[in-house]
Amino acid sequence: MSARDRILGRLRTALADPERPQPEREAAVAARLRGEGPHAPVPAFAQAHGQARLTQFMAKLEAVDATVSRVSSLPELPRALAHELRNRNLPAEIRHGADPAFAGLDWGAISASTGIGRIEEPATLSRARYGMAETGTLVLASGPDNPVTLTFLGETHFVVVFEDDVKAGLEEVWAGLRGSGLDPRTVNMVTGPSRSADIGQKLQLGAHGPVALHVFLVSGSGLTDA
Amino acid sequence: MSHAHPTTPAFKSNSRDALANANLQTALRNARGHFVDKRAAAAAKVSEFEQIRDAGREMKNHTLAHLDLYLEEYEARVTAAGGHVHWAESAEDARRIVLEICRSVNAKTVNKGKTMISEECGINDHLAANGITPVETDLGEYIIQLRHEAPSHIIAPAVHVTVPEIEAAFRKAHAHLPPDRDLSDNATLQMEARRILREKYFQAEVGITGANMLIAETGQSVIVTNEGNGDLSQSLPKVHIVMASLEKLVPTLDDAATVLRLLARSATGQEMSVYTTFSSGPRRSEDPDGPEQYHVVLLDNGRSNMVGTEFQEMLRCIRCGACMNHCPVYQSVGGHAYGWVYPGPMGAVLTPSLIGVEEGGQLPNASTFCGRCESVCPMKIPLPRMMRHWREREFEKRLTPSAARYGLSLWAFFARRPALYRFGTRMGMKALRRLAGGRGRLASLPLGGGWTGERDFPAPQGKTFMDQWKEARR
Repeated sequence: MSARDRILGRLRTALADPERPQPEREAAVAARLRGEGPHAPVPAFAQAHGQARLTQFMAKLEAVDATVSRVSSLPELPRALAHELRNRNLPAEIRHGADPAFAGLDWGAISASTGIGRIEEPATLSRARYGMAETGTLVLASGPDNPVTLTFLGETHFVVVFEDDVKAGLEEVWAGLRGSGLDPRTVNMVTGPSRSADIGQKLQLGAHGPVALHVFLVSGSGLTDA
Repeated sequence: MSHAHPTTPAFKSNSRDALANANLQTALRNARGHFVDKRAAAAAKVSEFEQIRDAGREMKNHTLAHLDLYLEEYEARVTAAGGHVHWAESAEDARRIVLEICRSVNAKTVNKGKTMISEECGINDHLAANGITPVETDLGEYIIQLRHEAPSHIIAPAVHVTVPEIEAAFRKAHAHLPPDRDLSDNATLQMEARRILREKYFQAEVGITGANMLIAETGQSVIVTNEGNGDLSQSLPKVHIVMASLEKLVPTLDDAATVLRLLARSATGQEMSVYTTFSSGPRRSEDPDGPEQYHVVLLDNGRSNMVGTEFQEMLRCIRCGACMNHCPVYQSVGGHAYGWVYPGPMGAVLTPSLIGVEEGGQLPNASTFCGRCESVCPMKIPLPRMMRHWREREFEKRLTPSAARYGLSLWAFFARRPALYRFGTRMGMKALRRLAGGRGRLASLPLGGGWTGERDFPAPQGKTFMDQWKEARR
């Protein structure tokens, strides 16, 4: 008998309930996996609508030490990025993935390259699949469009998120992920730049991931702009 | 110190040493309040917090009651995504499985994200003994690895180390850097560790992480971190090994949301930790990065024996550390005194379950039953009640020290004879009042030196409970 069979066997014996035959237990599990609940209450801060949702998203981003600027349309992105790079004394260079949102943009004086993260990346750019107003979180889906290494190796990480992709809370994000059939290897939720309090219990930004996180909140859905 | 040999039976002497350790006391004083205040503020900001805790408890109870089925479901999803699930009955099994995977890719270096299951299994020592270098990449874990120590807290592993001690450890370990470099503040220390570990991420063949959750619906493993080291450890090497225990299962993404809303708030007072990563399987054919192999080591190590017993509820634990942050015993002696992987109240319940009451039976006694742990536990685990169960088992197995057994038998003799008991308490009260004289307090007490060494004992006032009861009923 394998370790698997022994472990599952012990659990089955311990959980056997004469009042609840096996088909009944299986039905309960199947129902829960189909999303029939029961569901926990959705907190009020995960239910913001309309303009209040965007306001909350931006306020939460700032509360977790991220910065945010608004961009009126996708073609405006290179100029907004150049401005941020200059203000942060960063070289006019950016590393990004094959996201369709970035294809065909005129980067101007910025030297843009496509690919995965390397050991030293002063600035990287990703597009978040969703923003989440609940906690000021960015939801990124890994893949060729947005390689996961760009999210963690950039000294400064720039993230584009479209206003229409800002969700109220986790429940809406799950619905979005399930509905779009997206099945990335990793879904990365990012809430601010990396940090640690392991030295003297004092919070310090820039542990192993980005030291700074800047969000470009772009009007609309991205589809009409692109 | 390594966890290979638990020092839990020496809890008393460990505690005495801890209380006399000036550096440790400085570090503990520094941490005290830090976690407590932040958790309280975070919980107070969510008006639905109590309902979410209740929902979390119900969700975990449901999962545990159907754990066999959810595990099978989860395994099927991992396999469908191209991953491998390895079932480990014991720590020894887990060590063997991890080593085999590492050897299959000729690994020289293994990067570690923070994982308590790896601590429980003694993975680092085992890899090192077999010529593979484990590198801890969580800043706190890195610090204690340099100091050859075990974590003293489940989420803040180096909470017992002072800043000057960290500087000393870095100067010793990073001897290739200029000796006159400035390491005078936290920022320069953190920067130095960042630079050194950044290179290591690109060298390792295997990355090992833990999992805060395993999701049956999707077959994903979830890590929740602040530093980003776990993600670099799992994204850059060829092989990702997830080490997780059975009870990390949750049914669906919606159930994961419940845990996420409780976890960071209870742990560090954050609304959400910086990185919450959901991983499923190895890199897809179109993926430009990510591991080529994805393995999950599912550890039992005694947990299936807790199911169906009075300790089953302990398996609701999501490892936030709130119980130890709020525990007056933990706050005084720190985590190492507990002598094994899991300290504080959750450790006092879990340790005897995993290594036996013979080894771990001291820990459930290290509690004043003040109940703060249960009051802050996001999963509402009745920790004091379960510590009481362990004390009962310890007594049944005749492991309790003879003085305590004798005292308890003496008390039981009177407790079974109510008339004698009431007479005794009345006499005792009178005697104590006389001993206290007019002060109402006793500075010393026969057989009560443990109490009166630190504080006065209040002399009994008024009448016994039974006398008051009788009067009130009249």
